[in-house]
Amino acid sequence: MTVNPKPIIYFNNAATSWPKPPEVLEAVSQSLSLPVFGSGRTTGMQGEDSITLARERLSAFLGAEPPEHIVFTHNATDSLNILISGFLAGNKDGCHVLTTALDHNSVLRPLHEYEQQHRIRLNIIPFTECRVRPESVEAAIRPDTRLMVMTHGSNVLGSVQDIKTIGDILHDHGIYFVVDGAQTAGHIPIGLKDLPVDAFVFTGHKGLLGIPGTGGFYVRNPEAITPVRFGGTGTDSFSLLHPRGMPERFEIGTHNVPGLAALAAGVNFIEEKGIASIVKKAEEQTAFLIRELKEEANIMIYNEHPDLPIVAFNIRGLDNDDVGFMLARGYNIVARTGLHCAPLVHKAIDGGEGCVRLSLSWCTTDEECRIAANAIRRIAKNANSSLGQA
Amino acid sequence: MRILRSVRHKVCADGSFMKEFLLDAPVTEGFFAYLENFGTVESLPDVGEGFYKFEKPDWFSIKGFAGDTTVEVRFKKEVMDLTVDFIYMLFSSYKGGEVDLSALKRRELAVGERVQKRLYGA
Repeated sequence: MTVNPKPIIYFNNAATSWPKPPEVLEAVSQSLSLPVFGSGRTTGMQGEDSITLARERLSAFLGAEPPEHIVFTHNATDSLNILISGFLAGNKDGCHVLTTALDHNSVLRPLHEYEQQHRIRLNIIPFTECRVRPESVEAAIRPDTRLMVMTHGSNVLGSVQDIKTIGDILHDHGIYFVVDGAQTAGHIPIGLKDLPVDAFVFTGHKGLLGIPGTGGFYVRNPEAITPVRFGGTGTDSFSLLHPRGMPERFEIGTHNVPGLAALAAGVNFIEEKGIASIVKKAEEQTAFLIRELKEEANIMIYNEHPDLPIVAFNIRGLDNDDVGFMLARGYNIVARTGLHCAPLVHKAIDGGEGCVRLSLSWCTTDEECRIAANAIRRIAKNANSSLGQA
Repeated sequence: MRILRSVRHKVCADGSFMKEFLLDAPVTEGFFAYLENFGTVESLPDVGEGFYKFEKPDWFSIKGFAGDTTVEVRFKKEVMDLTVDFIYMLFSSYKGGEVDLSALKRRELAVGERVQKRLYGA
């Protein structure tokens, strides 16, 4: 295989952030260097209780009290499945559910499965100018609406949704509100204490700078979600029924301890840098990329004013997948192409063809942005002059 | 030129099946010019070392950069079992310079009939 001496320039942080801060890698290594300490599962006292520490870190970071209402899962999709199926398990007569065209398949697919099983009636609210309008949500509410599940930040358009206004409207109608924060946690301040959100989903491996295999959710009132998974918890072991206390109500089996140690380290890293400085750097770099790409007339940008460090574009006359291939092979730039698991977004913005997405993290440098902008502009310029000639 | 092995594969959003092949020698502009005998080739020669894309509708596409020893091939999944051998033939028949296309053309015709029948029933 050809050895490419160029360093990797990584713009796929909305999928999985990379590189990880050294502190995160060190936390994984440290965690694996000692036996796992877990209350009820070992008498050892040598290691740190990474699970409780991570729970406390996340609780403080998200403004979500008490820490026991932070539940750890495998990832955001896992969390959404637990919350959706758990909510519907308590609403056996079926109900009307709302979601949005901005949402990821982690929301759309579970809901469509339940719709196909005739367990729910589903409405998908469209978006305009990258955002779901609160008035559209209000207009979609019916007497039998019980649940809304929606993204906090679009993984394609980088637009943060007005979950405060939407949540207030939903709560006025007694509708349970689940927010998918996979793209926002770690990128913007969250402050769940002041938000009308019943459950908030996060993942560890994106903005929170942890490693894959970690995620979770905050649930304000655990009683609203029926547990749907059962097993060992290391607590109340005489009971043959699953404990209903928190967080055991939703956490089963052995935790991903190295992953949670990494997650806590990722949150520490973000807090040390300060979320305000993370936002500022992301805004500046994203604005730079958009400014540069706009210079080429045949680059179509689908989100000129994103709230998150995401730029979605296509080059006229070129397949998005070919552009991704050229960036990867020609310039060692890792982007993401295609539908980004958000088919309804693409149906609305590019006719379902998909696009190229650049997504940044704290570790993205100004120089990397400059190199990426130059490479994309070069491809766009050549697309004008050379396409079709062998 | 020979395909050594497949180093990556995935099912693409459009339903095609992608395989990345490792070759025993870098692909060249000349190789893609040779491929034009069997389909269409698009190029952006000033991007990187030169980007090339070969398309044989209903069969497969081949993408690569000049000087690279890997190429990405996307097969139409429904007929992949019929066309995959032809990919190997395409690569192994190319040795630079003039290529005798007669055997390849005969094979292309035979496979083409089966592809047509499978996809369109005629």
